[in-house]
Amino acid sequence: MITSARMLWTCHWSSRRIQRYLDAERGVPLSADEARRLEQHLAICEHCAALADEHRLLRRVLDNLSQRTAPAPDAVGRLHERLDRIIAEQSS
Amino acid sequence: MTDSESRAGDFKRHVEPEIEVLLRVARTLTGSWADAEDLVQETLVRAFRAIDRFDGRYPRAWLLTILRNTNANMHRRQRPDLFDGGDVPEGQRPAFGAAPPATVEDEALYGRLEAGLEATLRDLDPRFRQVVVLVDIDQLSYAEAARTLGVPVGTVMSRLHRARNRLRKALLVQPPEGSPS
Repeated sequence: MITSARMLWTCHWSSRRIQRYLDAERGVPLSADEARRLEQHLAICEHCAALADEHRLLRRVLDNLSQRTAPAPDAVGRLHERLDRIIAEQSS
Repeated sequence: MTDSESRAGDFKRHVEPEIEVLLRVARTLTGSWADAEDLVQETLVRAFRAIDRFDGRYPRAWLLTILRNTNANMHRRQRPDLFDGGDVPEGQRPAFGAAPPATVEDEALYGRLEAGLEATLRDLDPRFRQVVVLVDIDQLSYAEAARTLGVPVGTVMSRLHRARNRLRKALLVQPPEGSPS
């Protein structure tokens, strides 16, 4: 009973940290201790490992969407030209 | 080199690498590419005027703050953040180096999942949608998204957590391949 309650609590703790773990480079990374504890839990808990996999899949789909919705190169080009004009106008 | 030339050179060096991300974020804030271009142009003008007060650190964060304030002035009455994801030419290359799908099968799978995901994204509360678009599509860090929206990083984290959970659940109920959409 105690073991199962502890496991449930660890699942809850882990589910609150999986996104930060996967987002380490762009967010607020977990501490080394937290990351190690989460990795240990993911290694033994199928439910939380599946949750982490779902977040990885979501991330891949959003990355794909990000590529498809990149700005048009000519719009970026116009802004680079505008930047040069602003510098020339404001400096004169 | 004169002061004016040095100032212009510094400005160009800080701003040029950020133009694409500014345009993406402006698109998220305004809901249209045309308005986004106007917003970025105005942001660049204001940033140049303020360059003397910029300490040279974190140019993206500095520019995102100017972008947010400029947007607040320019688009007060405009409804922001209408994500449609559909007005970009097919096959356009990534802005921020995200790896392309590994195989044709992956591409087909992600394409199918995307359709359902975009619908769920549109249905999200705008406060949650903006955060997930800024971080996961515009590729900002939590801190940059917080600066863009003028909210604490903790707010970004909690909104992101909830929004992604909604999106994740939506992915799990995608119809099987070949079924009518």
